[in-house]
Amino acid sequence: MFANEKAGDGRIPRESVAADEVVGFGGDVGFNCIGVGHVIQAKRLTKRYGDLVAVEDIDFSIARGEVVGFLGPNGAGKTTTMRMLTGFLPPTDGTALIAGHDMFSDPIAARRAIGYLPETPPLYPEMRVESFLAYVAKIKDVPHAERRAAVDRALARTALNDVRRQVIGTLSKGFRQRVGLAQAIVHNPPVLILDEPTAGLDPLQIREIRTLIAELTAPSQGDTQQTVILSTHILAEVDAICRRVILINQGRKVVDAPLSELTADGRTLDQVFTEHTASDAAFPLEAAIVSGPGGAS
Amino acid sequence: MRHVASVAGRELRSLFVSPVAYGVLSLFSVLAGMFFILDLSWFEQALLQLQQYPDQLAELNLNDLLLHEFYGSISVVLLFLIPGITMGLYTAEKANGTEELLLTSPLTIWDIVLGKFAAGAIFITALVAIVGLFASVLFIYGDPEVGKTTSGLLGLLLTGWTYVAIGGFASAITRSQIVAFLITLVVLVTLLLLPGISEFGIAGSGSGVAETLRWLSVQLHFDPLLNGLVDTADLAYFAVMIGSFLVVTKAAVESVRWR
Repeated sequence: MFANEKAGDGRIPRESVAADEVVGFGGDVGFNCIGVGHVIQAKRLTKRYGDLVAVEDIDFSIARGEVVGFLGPNGAGKTTTMRMLTGFLPPTDGTALIAGHDMFSDPIAARRAIGYLPETPPLYPEMRVESFLAYVAKIKDVPHAERRAAVDRALARTALNDVRRQVIGTLSKGFRQRVGLAQAIVHNPPVLILDEPTAGLDPLQIREIRTLIAELTAPSQGDTQQTVILSTHILAEVDAICRRVILINQGRKVVDAPLSELTADGRTLDQVFTEHTASDAAFPLEAAIVSGPGGAS
Repeated sequence: MRHVASVAGRELRSLFVSPVAYGVLSLFSVLAGMFFILDLSWFEQALLQLQQYPDQLAELNLNDLLLHEFYGSISVVLLFLIPGITMGLYTAEKANGTEELLLTSPLTIWDIVLGKFAAGAIFITALVAIVGLFASVLFIYGDPEVGKTTSGLLGLLLTGWTYVAIGGFASAITRSQIVAFLITLVVLVTLLLLPGISEFGIAGSGSGVAETLRWLSVQLHFDPLLNGLVDTADLAYFAVMIGSFLVVTKAAVESVRWR
């Protein structure tokens, strides 16, 4: 926490966490006295719309460098939870800590630490890729002197160099998704929140995006190691990139475990998913249908 | 407040890569030119007709007859053009999904609201500069009063900025550009008609309600500026209008959070 405040830009100083400490949940005491090494903490996050409960009492902590698959059937509350984590929606109850900053008492510092790709990538169709990323870097408080380098790095990491001068509106869907990913990482945030990053893409593009995300979490020199929460209802995606799974159903957390543990007894993720979403679901059939494509792929 | 300029800069650039800005600028130039020529020829006629009445001819001057008319017409042109400029200010962000980007970035809502207002205000300033160009031609061939000419331009500027604040609010409360355009137009026309409404209106003239309605009218505060009278009460009116509409716009932008 103190190291954080001294840095003053909301980013976690790299030196404060040694690489080998990342694995342990309580390893790096120096960085955060509240959440001992936890970059993302959701504390009893609840969202109600009148009588309708969208999300209730979601609690979890995610350590630096983790890649967490946020699973659940459509309408389970994945997007709502992510919107609360990013500060887009205020929770009815509970709070979220991002890199040690409370999203609701210190929103500016907390938001600075987040890269967020919403379900529909937020793009200005009339802007060029390059100038769009420069604008995002600016509003994410990247200092003027570092902005050019930040844009170049984001373009390189998302393999967008060839289209940097193109107008976003003329790009294909796969490229737009990549620009969406580039705007999420341009300020090199410690936390990445991706809401269904592969929705609506063809199999080839899906593979590209997955490779990209995998690369983001294994940083090259000079990049912050990113902690990723990725929402999806495609189970194969979780299998491919995540090491931990949080499963929510009807607004409640039902599973939170390492992927290896879930599938240790020979069960497939598909079975786990069906079991937890169908057992207490009001419409078991619907949940089963939702889990269908994941099992097939 | 650090990012007002960032937001305004992006907004202006987007305005100028779309045909909207150029369309509005050229349309405005053509309309302003037509009004200018019409008012000029009308002034010429008046000049000829009054040749045999020297005492009336002496009272005839460029400001009261020509510029007054010209600025008045321009204020009406602005009333119809500005809704077109402001309709996309917030609706476009909602359509692009960039609302989510802005609200999850380390920006305050005031950065967004003031940035967008500044972009619109700068555009209007460019339009008024075109008007100033027309007016300055008169200085080459005639001898208009500098004070009245500039106070009239100031009036146009403040009127335009007020319209931008109103248009921005309309854009913030809907998802549809057309709806934003129509709301703005209706509000602006109502503001124009307020003095008339207050006279014939429900409340009866002279009453408190009628006076308030009259006070709300843009025309009432624009006219003194046209006549060269710069009164702080009128300047305060524009400040109050712009300020209040920016405050409610901020609330409207914020409302996605608690809806």
